[in-house]
Amino acid sequence: MPFVEDPAQLSKSRLKSDLVAHHVALPPAASKKELYVELHLKHIDQSNCADFSSDDEDPVHDVVGEDPENATVLDPSALTDKDLKDLLLKHGVKAGPIVASTRAVYEKKLRKLLQSGGKEELNEAENAVLYSDSDEEEEGDENKEEQEEPEGEQEQTAEALKLNQQRCNKKNVDVQRGDFAYSQCFFLSSRLRPCPLKQNEWSSKRNSKNAVRSSEQTREHRSQIPAGISKVSIAQHSGLRSGVPSGSQSVVSNGCSSRSSQAFSITEMVVEMESRTSPTVCSDKELSHSSKQEHRSRSSRPPQEPENDILKEIFPDTNATPTGIYATPRRPIKGAAQRPIQYAYPKTPVSPTTLERREVERRLVPIYIQILVFFTVVYVLYVISVIVEDGSSVMPLLESLNQWSDSEEGSPALDETQDTHSASGEL
Amino acid sequence: MSSTSQKHKEFVAEPMGEKPVMALAGIGEVLGRKLEENGFDKAYVVLGQYLVLKKDEELFKDWLKDTCGANAKQQRDCYGCLKEWCDAFL
Repeated sequence: MPFVEDPAQLSKSRLKSDLVAHHVALPPAASKKELYVELHLKHIDQSNCADFSSDDEDPVHDVVGEDPENATVLDPSALTDKDLKDLLLKHGVKAGPIVASTRAVYEKKLRKLLQSGGKEELNEAENAVLYSDSDEEEEGDENKEEQEEPEGEQEQTAEALKLNQQRCNKKNVDVQRGDFAYSQCFFLSSRLRPCPLKQNEWSSKRNSKNAVRSSEQTREHRSQIPAGISKVSIAQHSGLRSGVPSGSQSVVSNGCSSRSSQAFSITEMVVEMESRTSPTVCSDKELSHSSKQEHRSRSSRPPQEPENDILKEIFPDTNATPTGIYATPRRPIKGAAQRPIQYAYPKTPVSPTTLERREVERRLVPIYIQILVFFTVVYVLYVISVIVEDGSSVMPLLESLNQWSDSEEGSPALDETQDTHSASGEL
Repeated sequence: MSSTSQKHKEFVAEPMGEKPVMALAGIGEVLGRKLEENGFDKAYVVLGQYLVLKKDEELFKDWLKDTCGANAKQQRDCYGCLKEWCDAFL
């Protein structure tokens, strides 16, 4: 229902339909518009007065609607049908006939379009502001880090490390590829390496508090670093670690030697571990062994590292391991292929060739027997064939058979029998 | 299996003739009464409104909401019903 209703401005058909809607008796069809207006004013406006209280928002909307458009008086309900249609067309809405029943809908639509047009501009402005802010933030972070690198002060580097650490961790979590993640982490650790050196140099100058504070900060990072490194494949980790520590080994060793009565810091620990493992990088076994120990120990006791120093002092001769603790080495886990067979099988080596030989040896005896059987059968058949040929001389043949069956030697008996056969045959 | 109701199927099955407005899908007693109060006492009058709005979905739904206070589901059902009827018989 239009809210600001000026019946005079409404079309006749509109007035008619409104009257019908409000169950007002229509005047005769040919009557003038004025009549309709009067009736409209009488009946409909009365009812609208009651509605007005509930329609407080809309006049406000109309006022708001007026602001964006400057020239035209933007009150969709005050427009004529034609103007309303034209306005809708401007906004890209192809409106149908604006009849009494459809007018309200089209007015509403026009209001929507006007409001949405104003809101879109606001949204664009807000988005522009948002984007600009985000860009500034990112640039600010990068600038921060770049500034911190050359300065190299402990606290600032710690902050930069934090940022990098977060990046590193994120990358570890998101992209668990050894090379990429490791390079990030290792860059971090490489950056950390100069820090303990400076810390060593400046520890005398600075208060112990600062060193402890920074060490605590770095400790958190260190605890995160082992986690990050453990995620990376061990082989790559070990391989890369062997490469990098060698470069800075000399510098690190100086730092380590100078350390005597300083506050304990994990950074030094890791540095020492890396430096000590670098010379021991020879075989894969040791690395895997040490890395596994390191994995276990790191995961289990980051907070217990103060004890490592004591252990070192107690056992100065023990070989260095990544964690600094030399526990009794566990028997290396070998695959089934490497496991010596002696535990499972008797001492005699059992190879497939020997098995074959055994089988052959088994067969040798039966083969021999088979040959003997063969010859006996041949002889018997021969005798039978001779008997068939010559039935008269059966007895000597039988005797020869008896002789053959008694004697085990085949060939001489055969020869004798053959001779007798031939002799008998000639006879 | 379509998600249309029984009412929808019944309405779309044959020409609406003089069916009351409550025969439309989504229009129950309450909404039907309100439509009748606004002069839309028969289904074909609502059809007329739908056609005058050039079968525009959004406009028709808005009109339905304004006229009788139909919620989104009721609007959807009514529009779908009329649309299908028009596709079949118009």
